[in-house]
Amino acid sequence: MIELLFHITAFKSLPLGEVGGALTHIIILSTALFFIGMYGLFTRRNMITMLMSIELMLNSVNINFVAFNKYLYPDKMDGIFFSIFIIAIAAAEAAVAIAIIINLYRTHKSIDVDDVTDLKQ
Amino acid sequence: MPERAELGVMNAIIFSALIGVVMMLGGIVIKSNAGIKLLAIILLFILLGSHLAEYYDLFNIHIQTHGMLAKSRFGMFFNTIIISLTLLYVLLSGDEIVKVGTYGAEYFALIFFSLCGATILSSYNNLLMLFLGVEIMTIPLFVLTSSEKKNLKSNEAGLKYFLMGSFSTGILLMGIALYYGGTGLFAIEASKAANEAQQAFRILLPLGLLFIFISLSFKVSAAPFHFWTPDVYDGAPSVFTSFMATIVKTAGFIAFIKLFELRSVDMGYSWKILLPLIIILTLLAGNITAVFQQSVKRMLAYSSIAHAGFMLFALYNPNDFGKQGIMLYTVAYSLATIGTFAVLTKMKDYTYEGYNGLAKTKPVLAATNTIFILSLAGIPLTAGFFAKYYMLASALKESTSNLWLVIVAVLFAAVSVYYYFRVIQAMYFKDGNAETTEIKPFFKTLLIIIAALIIVIGLMPSLLLDLFYA
Amino acid sequence: MAITEIIFWFLSALAVISAIMVVLSKSPVHSVLWLIAVFFAISGHYVLLNAQFIAIVNIIVYAGAIMVLFLFVLMLMNLNKETEPQKNLWMKLTGVVSGGCLLIILISLVRQATEIKGKIAVTKTGDIGLIKVLGKELFSSYVVPFEISSVLFLSAMIGAVVIGKKD
Repeated sequence: MIELLFHITAFKSLPLGEVGGALTHIIILSTALFFIGMYGLFTRRNMITMLMSIELMLNSVNINFVAFNKYLYPDKMDGIFFSIFIIAIAAAEAAVAIAIIINLYRTHKSIDVDDVTDLKQ
Repeated sequence: MPERAELGVMNAIIFSALIGVVMMLGGIVIKSNAGIKLLAIILLFILLGSHLAEYYDLFNIHIQTHGMLAKSRFGMFFNTIIISLTLLYVLLSGDEIVKVGTYGAEYFALIFFSLCGATILSSYNNLLMLFLGVEIMTIPLFVLTSSEKKNLKSNEAGLKYFLMGSFSTGILLMGIALYYGGTGLFAIEASKAANEAQQAFRILLPLGLLFIFISLSFKVSAAPFHFWTPDVYDGAPSVFTSFMATIVKTAGFIAFIKLFELRSVDMGYSWKILLPLIIILTLLAGNITAVFQQSVKRMLAYSSIAHAGFMLFALYNPNDFGKQGIMLYTVAYSLATIGTFAVLTKMKDYTYEGYNGLAKTKPVLAATNTIFILSLAGIPLTAGFFAKYYMLASALKESTSNLWLVIVAVLFAAVSVYYYFRVIQAMYFKDGNAETTEIKPFFKTLLIIIAALIIVIGLMPSLLLDLFYA
Repeated sequence: MAITEIIFWFLSALAVISAIMVVLSKSPVHSVLWLIAVFFAISGHYVLLNAQFIAIVNIIVYAGAIMVLFLFVLMLMNLNKETEPQKNLWMKLTGVVSGGCLLIILISLVRQATEIKGKIAVTKTGDIGLIKVLGKELFSSYVVPFEISSVLFLSAMIGAVVIGKKD
């Protein structure tokens, strides 16, 4: 990771000649989506929106898998399979989360995280 | 037993999933709580039997796994430990589990599914299986955490656990994506040739491993990613906290070790900085905050963070000493934690004051609880001492320059004695009228057996470690 | 610019702008709708990457199932009241700084890897994204995780019933 810091200092401008689906752009897109999702998770108070931010993060990772598969290792299909599993499992996770939120709403009549203060000491 | 990388799914994985289904369906037929508990115990004995049958090569289901799972002595032995621990846990706290809500059979089924995830984590050979194992292990826990439906605290804990859990899953997936970008593989054991062929993109690999490391730190609650732990452990029903703090947590460490014993070299120099940093932060966050707690349950939550700090030492030298150490630590820590939590669930008041004068009203409970707590604190003659010793020794064996880290860890262990002894002090030296719920003779007998096990392992750790090599 | 490049840039811009709107819009219902737009944009990317099956599954599962579930919950519980999308300033700042740092690391890392830069997807060729090929592979080398994931669905199902059912 120390090396990474040197990479940052050697920040160079992007040669704009290779546009149109170059891998770099897709990775930048997916990381941007990932961190937009992370930002949403940290800043929103509504639980459903927090859940949506998580879905956004998982989706951005999917793009990475498919793009790496297509650009770097096109002879096998590992990346595509991984993203299929991610999609399936994200759906299962969302179901559990919705159940918890519904139950919380039933007992508490609110899904605002800041109203949830019992656990804070 | 030869290591068969390609062939063989572990019996434990198949059977733990199957008994979960049987348990779930059994809940339709059996209505009484005692019947459900009995069924759960019988099913766990079947699971243990099928696993031991595979361990001694008697009966084994062979399936071509295409390198997804790999059998190893290490994983098999760990499975034996966690299945036995789950059995002990159900025997001890089965009554409390069915009392949590109206879905007794489903709670047991979810526990078995979670156990299935833990067995996958002890045998994965592919990051896809790591991902599935982590998810299978944690999704039932979100449900169990929020299973006290009328209790707001439990609901909040469940939601918090879910948000943190899926956040760390997102990070894990990002890490796996970068790992894939760097190597073109999901297998954790890559052949040398494949590695060199993909040298060009390997720049993505260290970052991917860093993401996976962060995510697994979340799962085992290592600082600075531990902040969810106290709230979740505190909010969850105590019986399920016991399961989370023992079986699930140690399975997380096994996943950690399996990946990083092979891959820590790829992180290069940064690994040497990252690991001590995380260990010290975890020990600091766990021990110092535990001192200020008023509730024993919350104190145990922080102490489980502190124990995570010790278990991380196994990553220093995961080849032999660390592996033995983590086995010993798993047994010692889990036995003691299951015991203390079993006593805790019987208490009416979870604060230190609630324990006042327990020695007079319930001498057996107080005496066994003392042994558990001594083991958690790592006092000699208990299993906890040798567990800590092996951990620290594994770091020293790696290189003597780690001496400073070992000294810091020992100092923190001394701090931990303070808050553990407050419980003993409350039980023996304070006047009070500790109230407990009804305690059966069977429960007491089991507590005595666990305490005896802790002492026996504390006197002769080689008994357990010999089994590892047998 | 070739037509695929134009589509690529359009979809990327759509994805990022919609994602920002998901996080920033005050009403949760608007967030859901923006998120559906993100999913469509991402599916478009999958088609460009020749992964048609994933593109379809992504729309069916995410936009079709999960988002509709979210919308139902929001509507049925009447949760679509507007909320101030802020916790406190420090939390927000931490989110931006940590996210930004990692983003910079990743981007600079990717730019360093010159070998990656030149790689341009070969569209219109290859059939790796098609169902026939995928199915064969899924039921041969990926059959173990496929079967094991059923345990996960079962536990999620039990969990949803245990938690969601009214006592």
